[in-house]
Amino acid sequence: MKQMEASDYKGKVKPSWCPGCGNHAVIMALRKAMAQLNYQTHETTIVSGIGCSSRFPFFMSTYGFHSIHGRALPVAIGLKEAKPEINVIAVGGDGDGLSIGGNHFIHAARKNPNITYIMMDNEIYALTKGQCSPTSRTGTITKCNPYAWTADRINPVLMALSFNASYVARGYSGDVKQLEQLILGGLQHKGFAFIHIISPCVQYNKVSSFEKIKEIACNLPSNHDITDRVNAMKYAFAPDGLYTGVFYKVERETYEERYKTVIRKAKEIAGDNYTIKDVIKQFQ
Amino acid sequence: MKDLRIKITGTSGQGIISSGDILSYATARKGYYVTTYRAFPSEIRGDGKCYYTLRISENKVLTATGDTDILICLDEDTIYECVSKMSNNGILIYDSDLVPNLKETRDDIIKYAIPLGTIAKKLNSERSRNMVALGIVVGIIKNLHLEEQILKDIELRYKNKSQQIIDLNKEALNAGVEYAHTKLERKDNYDSAQMQSTGSKLIMSGNEAIGLAAIAAGCRFFSGYPITPATEIMEWLAKELPKFGGKMVQCEDEIAAINYALGASYSGVKAMTATSGPGFSLMQEAIGLASMAEIPIVIADVQRCGPSTGVPTKTEQSDLFAALYGTHGDCPKIVLAPMNVADCFYQTINAFNFAEQYQVPVIILSDASLGPRRECVDLIDLEHLNIVNRQKPELKEGDVYNRYQDTPTGISPISCPGDLYGEHVVTGLEHTQANAPTPDPEVHRKMTEKRFKKLETAAGRFSKAKTFGDEDATIGIISWGSTSGPVFEAIKKAEEKGIKVQALYPRTLYPVPTDWIKNFIKNKEVIIVIEANYNAQFKSTIVERCTHINKSAEVLEFLKYDGTPFTPEEIYDEIVKVAKVQEEMYSISTNKHTHF
Repeated sequence: MKQMEASDYKGKVKPSWCPGCGNHAVIMALRKAMAQLNYQTHETTIVSGIGCSSRFPFFMSTYGFHSIHGRALPVAIGLKEAKPEINVIAVGGDGDGLSIGGNHFIHAARKNPNITYIMMDNEIYALTKGQCSPTSRTGTITKCNPYAWTADRINPVLMALSFNASYVARGYSGDVKQLEQLILGGLQHKGFAFIHIISPCVQYNKVSSFEKIKEIACNLPSNHDITDRVNAMKYAFAPDGLYTGVFYKVERETYEERYKTVIRKAKEIAGDNYTIKDVIKQFQ
Repeated sequence: MKDLRIKITGTSGQGIISSGDILSYATARKGYYVTTYRAFPSEIRGDGKCYYTLRISENKVLTATGDTDILICLDEDTIYECVSKMSNNGILIYDSDLVPNLKETRDDIIKYAIPLGTIAKKLNSERSRNMVALGIVVGIIKNLHLEEQILKDIELRYKNKSQQIIDLNKEALNAGVEYAHTKLERKDNYDSAQMQSTGSKLIMSGNEAIGLAAIAAGCRFFSGYPITPATEIMEWLAKELPKFGGKMVQCEDEIAAINYALGASYSGVKAMTATSGPGFSLMQEAIGLASMAEIPIVIADVQRCGPSTGVPTKTEQSDLFAALYGTHGDCPKIVLAPMNVADCFYQTINAFNFAEQYQVPVIILSDASLGPRRECVDLIDLEHLNIVNRQKPELKEGDVYNRYQDTPTGISPISCPGDLYGEHVVTGLEHTQANAPTPDPEVHRKMTEKRFKKLETAAGRFSKAKTFGDEDATIGIISWGSTSGPVFEAIKKAEEKGIKVQALYPRTLYPVPTDWIKNFIKNKEVIIVIEANYNAQFKSTIVERCTHINKSAEVLEFLKYDGTPFTPEEIYDEIVKVAKVQEEMYSISTNKHTHF
């Protein structure tokens, strides 16, 4: 098996993100984390939906599935369930994962498939040139809401915790070192790992800039118990700071493991040499 | 009597479906042909009415519609509703405990007022009225010798419940049989009903046939969301797929269901989903993704009345437009229409073969009159099924692999995660042969053509259209899907009366089977297009593309959109009507072609 380096994961296409976009840091961090685990390109698939960050698979040398808006998680889980030996990483933005694809986030978390989901949150729809997303701040002005954005924002980390995602972390694009560690932890975690990354848009979002995020970001206290979900929720709620780090990590049976029980039970009834000819007996 | 129609009716929760199922299994196992039709309300219990029709015959039959010979009503309302559609000398069996005074109704039928409730009560099981009634029927048609088989079938059906339930049902059946033999003053001659048993047959529903074929074709992944009347496919595969190491995954909605299946298929595993109208609408965007990204996928749409929620339990063939045009963009796909339960099996095998071979979404259009209905199927030769797998590239280190390589057939070999040197990104964006996204006009034009080229390659390899009737007939019927049973019988009846009719069933609806249709209408003077929808969807999208070949042929439509399936009688009447007009036109003209 080839010993992989971060640069081995560079795809045929160069990242088309704007210079200064937070996503450059995310792809670097992911490549480094994958190299640490020696992920082979042919055994890894990056799945995405639609959006700036969803162009991700094209910039990698692994298998990739650039699907439709909001559907990265269903495609990723279907792939993982059908072929559990593949490393599956779903990526996408806040609009893709929290708005059009929000429903899938709930069910992915509770099913606990052994995949990693990286959400690059820039608080805006950037590919369509700047409209409000579910994480945009109330009052934001865009072309679609020239007077004021009237909805409240949602809190992705709090959502993931309440849906019972088994690994929940947050980082931001200004700290690649931490990102690498958070992603590495997610990849190594057995179960649904959700990594929320504040990844500023330099083009359409002047409010949540690198500078601003840097001001409010702080590490979770070192004594935070990552098995304490309620306490993790308190940190996720914190109004005065943006906590980064691992909020929660508790391993439980994955979807694939639970399905093994289903297959075992079915095979107990059917026997080992069950063929289509046996199936047909019920119709005779 | 070689052909017997039995109808069991009542209110939801009275065990109509159970008794109908038990009777149909037993008749098939006894060696007779049987086909059924089930209509039931959306509510599980309550005021909704259930109807279970069985037709038992010594010959192959493919429709249960038509006049009822023996009607069993477990409630009062359905008596008055259903007696009008009984044959002369038919038998009505009803519960005299429930209906002490039967309102005046047809006097050309035989009425047996039987205290079903009292008999059941004596067994301490009022809920067994259905089995008592079934016993009465079995006692009446005693020369079909069904009793023993039904007892076996009761055991099979309730084997996962308690012995007490099995015993109660058996006792109720026996009580009914005994009543028919000893207490019933017979006024009918159904004792004479005898049929040749021709050996055990397979009996399955259209939905089960799709599930069975999926497994036989190598499908090992199904993802779905419950929806009437398609859920049975999912339930059946949930039971069977894990026995083969496969998976049935229940999703949060139909959008997730089809995208799970696409993810699974991309990984190299044959995958499918099944749904009905509302779910089919939700799946459209992903069908386009499958078409653009060239990912094999099979989607079974068991149609029901629409639009919107419509009538969930009733049948219609009104999703054809959605199947053909539901997805935005130029979207190559294949649409198949099985004609009966056996064809559900073979068309599903085809669906997987086409999906894998041509890397397109394949849609199977079944419907509510076909999916849930149980019917005899001739034995299936599992040894000689032609199963096709997707074409894989042969790659070695250093090779450049273009996922969307243009080829003379349009088919590009497909690698999947896990395959060395085959890494690539699939996308719903327009892309080059090397799977790089691009808005280049030349690329979009060429790649659109490349994707459609696959359909041209496929066109020559579809299963042949089915025709029946006299090929010299000047009256033609073109129809699709589940109407085939009643059409077949109507044509037979017309022939007996001296009217020649030929019918055409193109089992592939898209790509449009123009060659078959053109060839068929060449010598026809009148064409009747029969389908169960208001818009004449099949006629306007498919048949009318071909009629220029014979401009003198008149193209009529015969439509039904009340949620019930066509009956042979309705179609026969339409044939007679058309034949009459045709005759009149002959008599006023010396040149028939200018007038028709």
